[in-house]
Amino acid sequence: MASPSTRSRLLGHALSAWTVAVLAVLWLPLVVIIVLSVAENAATILPFTGVTLAHYQATLQDGALLGSVANSATIATLASVLATAVGVPASVALVRYDVPLSNAFRVAVVLPMVVPGVVLGIGVLISIRTLPGITPGFVPTVLTHAVYGLPFVVLLVSARLAAVDDTLADAARDLGASPLVAFRDVTLPAIAPAVASGFLFAWVRSFEEFVRAYFVSGTTDVLTTEMYALLAYGTAPKLNVIATLVLFVLAVVLAVAMTAGDVVSAVTAGE
Amino acid sequence: MSPRQPDASDADAPADTTSDAGHPHSTVGRRSFLAATGAAASATTLAGCLGGTTGTPTINVLTWEHYARDDVAAAVEDAVDATVNVTKSISSEKMFAGWQAGKDQQFDIAIPNNNYVPKFAAAGLAAPVPVSDLDSYPAIYDFFKNAMDTQLAVDGTPYGVPIRFGYYGYGYDSRAVPDHDPSWSVLFDGIDGVDLSSAVALYDNHFKAMSAAALHLGFRDAFDGDRITLSESQLGAVTDALIDQKQSLLSGYIAGDASFVKGITKGDFHVGHTGRMNVTNMRADGTDWIEMATPTEGALSWFEAAVVSTQTDHPDLAWEVVNEYIAPETGATLAREGHAPSVNPETTAHLSERRTELYGAIDPARLADMIPSKAVANEDAWRAAWERVKTA
Amino acid sequence: MGDTDSVLGRLVGSPRARLAALLAPSGGLLVALLFAPLSFMVAVSFARVSDASRIIWHPTAANYTALVDATPFWSTPFVTSLLLSVGIAAATTVVCLVAAYPVAYALARRDRGRRVVFFLVLLPFFTMYLVRVYSWYLLFGDGGVLNDIATVLGVGPVDAFGFGVPAIVVGLAHAQFPYMLLTLYAGIEAVDFDVLEAARDLGASRRAVFRDVLLPLTLPNVVAGSLFVFVPAFGSFVAPRFLSGSTVLLVGQLIAGRIDSFNIASASAAATVVVVLIAAAFGVAARYTDASAGGDH
Repeated sequence: MASPSTRSRLLGHALSAWTVAVLAVLWLPLVVIIVLSVAENAATILPFTGVTLAHYQATLQDGALLGSVANSATIATLASVLATAVGVPASVALVRYDVPLSNAFRVAVVLPMVVPGVVLGIGVLISIRTLPGITPGFVPTVLTHAVYGLPFVVLLVSARLAAVDDTLADAARDLGASPLVAFRDVTLPAIAPAVASGFLFAWVRSFEEFVRAYFVSGTTDVLTTEMYALLAYGTAPKLNVIATLVLFVLAVVLAVAMTAGDVVSAVTAGE
Repeated sequence: MSPRQPDASDADAPADTTSDAGHPHSTVGRRSFLAATGAAASATTLAGCLGGTTGTPTINVLTWEHYARDDVAAAVEDAVDATVNVTKSISSEKMFAGWQAGKDQQFDIAIPNNNYVPKFAAAGLAAPVPVSDLDSYPAIYDFFKNAMDTQLAVDGTPYGVPIRFGYYGYGYDSRAVPDHDPSWSVLFDGIDGVDLSSAVALYDNHFKAMSAAALHLGFRDAFDGDRITLSESQLGAVTDALIDQKQSLLSGYIAGDASFVKGITKGDFHVGHTGRMNVTNMRADGTDWIEMATPTEGALSWFEAAVVSTQTDHPDLAWEVVNEYIAPETGATLAREGHAPSVNPETTAHLSERRTELYGAIDPARLADMIPSKAVANEDAWRAAWERVKTA
Repeated sequence: MGDTDSVLGRLVGSPRARLAALLAPSGGLLVALLFAPLSFMVAVSFARVSDASRIIWHPTAANYTALVDATPFWSTPFVTSLLLSVGIAAATTVVCLVAAYPVAYALARRDRGRRVVFFLVLLPFFTMYLVRVYSWYLLFGDGGVLNDIATVLGVGPVDAFGFGVPAIVVGLAHAQFPYMLLTLYAGIEAVDFDVLEAARDLGASRRAVFRDVLLPLTLPNVVAGSLFVFVPAFGSFVAPRFLSGSTVLLVGQLIAGRIDSFNIASASAAATVVVVLIAAAFGVAARYTDASAGGDH
C-alpha cells in the first residue's frame, strides 16, 4: 500500500500526463496541417515524398483566395467593432443599473451563441430574401457576425465590470470630472483588457465563422466559404497553406495579447 | 500574355497562325471592328482607364477554371479583338446565383452546365443565340445542334451554345480492382471474388446517385422523354438499393471531382462515381493506376453551354468569343487544358493521336447512347428518398 | 447598486432614458438580426411555399405533421436525424467533460506552466474550425493517417479510425473543448481548497471529497460548459459531412439540405423544433445552475 504522499504525487503525475495527452490530441491536427503545407504530396502524410514551398507560392498567387481573406478580415473588423460598440454600453447597463427584466436581457444577449448557426443563417436568409431591396452579401454578413460576436463582448466586459470597484469613478465625478471623462479616464482603463479580449474573440469568431456566412454572404466570397469550396470541390494544398499562415498570425496576436493583458482571467472570469 | 493584334482594323487579315484555311474570319472580323471602335468612341471613360493606348474592349467571362488557363485565354485573344478576362467559378449554381444578384452587369459570358441554361433564360439573364453568326456552329455534332433546339431553348429559341462535354461513369484503382465488365452493378453488388466492402464512393448528390442506382436496376426507360421519371415503386427500389449499398459496399459520398481524387488517392475507396474528364485529368497528371469504366447500362452525359448576358455592352464581341471556344484550334487548346472533348469534332485535327483517343473525337453513335442530363419529373419525391437514404 | 453610480448614466436625463440609450443599440441589433429573423422563420413554418418558391400565407400545420409522418413516427428522416444529433452531441459533451475536468483541475491548482498551457489550448481554439475539420478528415478514413500508422504498427486497419460517428465526435470535441475547459477552470479556481483539505483531514477519501464537495461546488460550471459544447455540436453542419463521408445526416444538415432544395417552409418547421428544444434545454439548465450557483461566488 502506497503512503498518502506517494499517492498524492502519483495523482499529480497522472494529472500532468493527462494534460500533456489532451494537449497532444488538441495539437495533432494542427501539426498534420503544418507538415502538409510544406509537403510535396499534400494529400496525405504517408508516404512523405519531400519538402517544397510550391504550395505557398501557388497560394500567394491566388488572387481570388487572397481577396476572400481580405473580405473576411474586413467583415471581422467591422463586425467586432460593431459588437464592441453596442456590447460595452449594454454591459454597463446590465452591471451598473437595476435593469428591469435584466435577466431576460442577459439571456437574450447570450442567445446568438446558442442558436445553431444553421438556424440563424437560414432565418436571416429567408427574411432578407423576402424583404425588398436587401440581398445576401457584405452588409448582412457584417451584421450577422456582429450579433454572433455580441455575447463574447458582453460576457467578458460585464464580468470585468462586476469585479471593478466603481467608487473611483464616483470620486472622479465628485472632483468635478464630467461623466464621460470619468468613464474614459477611470472605468475604461480598468475594463480595457476585457474590452480588448471581447473584441479579439468577436473578431476571431467572425473570421472563422462558416455556416452563417454560407447562407447570408451571397456573392461576397469570404475565406470560410472559399475554404469550404476547396474542401468539397477543390484542391487541398492551398487549404493547408492558408491554415498554417492564419495559425502563425493568430499565434503572434495571441502571444502579444496574453503578455499585454490578462486574457486568461478575462476569458475565464465570465462564470 | 499573348501578342495581341495592334489594331482592330487588322482583324480581316489575322496576323498569326490562328487563322485556319477552312474558316474565313471575315464576317466576324468586321463585326468586331465595329464593336471595338464603337466601344472606344462611346466609352471615353473606359479609354481613360486604359490610358488611351488601345480601344480593345474587355470581355468578362464567368466559368470553370480551365478557361482561365493562359493558353486558352491567349488562343481566344489571338483570334478575337478583345481582352478576355476569366473569373473562375466552382459551380453552375454559383454562376447563376451571382448573375441573379447583379453580376450579369459585370460579366458578358457565363458557361454553366447545360441544365442551367433554361434557368438563365427564364430569369431574363441570357440573350438569344444568333446562330447564323456563329461560324463554328455548322461543324458541331448534330447531337448538340439538336440539344440547342430542345433543352437549351425556350419557346424554340436557343439561349446557350454547347462548348465541351463528358459523361459520368466510375473510376477505379486498378491496383485493387481487377479488369471487369463495366457495369453500374459493380457499385452496388461488387465484383465476384473481390472484397469491395466499404470501398465504393458515390456522388453526394441525389440526382447523380439515384440515377446510377436506377440504371443499375435496369430502369433505363425512365430516362427517355423530356424528363426523368421514376414511378413510385421504382423510386422505392432505388432507395432500397442505395440503403443496401450504404450498409455494405459504401465508403462514403463525395462532393465532386476533387473529393474523388483526394479519396481514391488517399485510399479511402477504390471504386468511385466520377466524370470521365476527372479520370483523364488524373492520368494526364501521371496517375497510371486509375481506370475509367463506362457502364453498359448507359451513362449520364453533361455538357457546358455558354450564355451571353442581356446586359453586355459588346454582344457581338461576346458571341465571337463564344464562337472561338468551339473553333477548331482554340477548341483543341481548351480540350487539351481541360481534358474534356469539344463539341466540335474538327478540333481533333489539332490534337495528337494519343490526346484524340483520350479526349478528342467520340463516335457519334456513342453520344446517342448517352443520357443527357435533364430535369427530374418528381423532384420532391427524389429529395425525400435521398433523405431516407442519408438517415438510414 | 444605484443609478447615480453610473458615469454614462448622467449623460441623459431620467434613469429610464439612460438605460434606453445604453441598451437600445444592442437591443436593436438583437431584434433586427435575431428575433425578427427567427420570428419570420416560425411564421414561414406555418405557411406554404409554391412551386415558384413564393411563400403563401395560408396557415397550416402540414410542415410539422410531415416531420413525423411515418409509422412509427420516429422513423422519419427528421426524427432519425434529430435523435442521432442528440446522441452525437451528448457523446461529444461527455468526451469534453472527461478530457477537460482533470486539466482544469491541474491548471487551477498549479501556477507552474499555466500560461503556456492556456496558450497551447487557446491557439487551436483560434485556428479555423474548417481547417481543423479538414485535418481530422486526413487523419481518419480507411486511407487516413491513423490507419496508416495502425497498419505500420501491425494492428491493421481499425474500424473506429474509419469515417463515421466516432470521427465526428472527435472532430466536434476538438472544436468545442476550450469552451468546456475555460468554463470548468473558472469554477474550480473559485473553489476554496481549504474546505477540501479540511474534509481530507477529517478522513474523507479523495473520491468522497470529489463527489461530495468539489463536484457539487463546480456543478454550475459543468452544466454551463456542457451547454456550450452540446448546443453547437447538436447543430453542427461541417464536421458530420466531412468526417462521415457524408453518410450521416444530422439535423443541421437536414435543414440546410431543405433550404438548398428551396423547401423553405419545411426547413423552417424543422428549425423551429430545434430552437424550441434548445430553449427548453436552456430553461432547465438555467433553473438548475441558478438554484445551485448561490454558494459559488
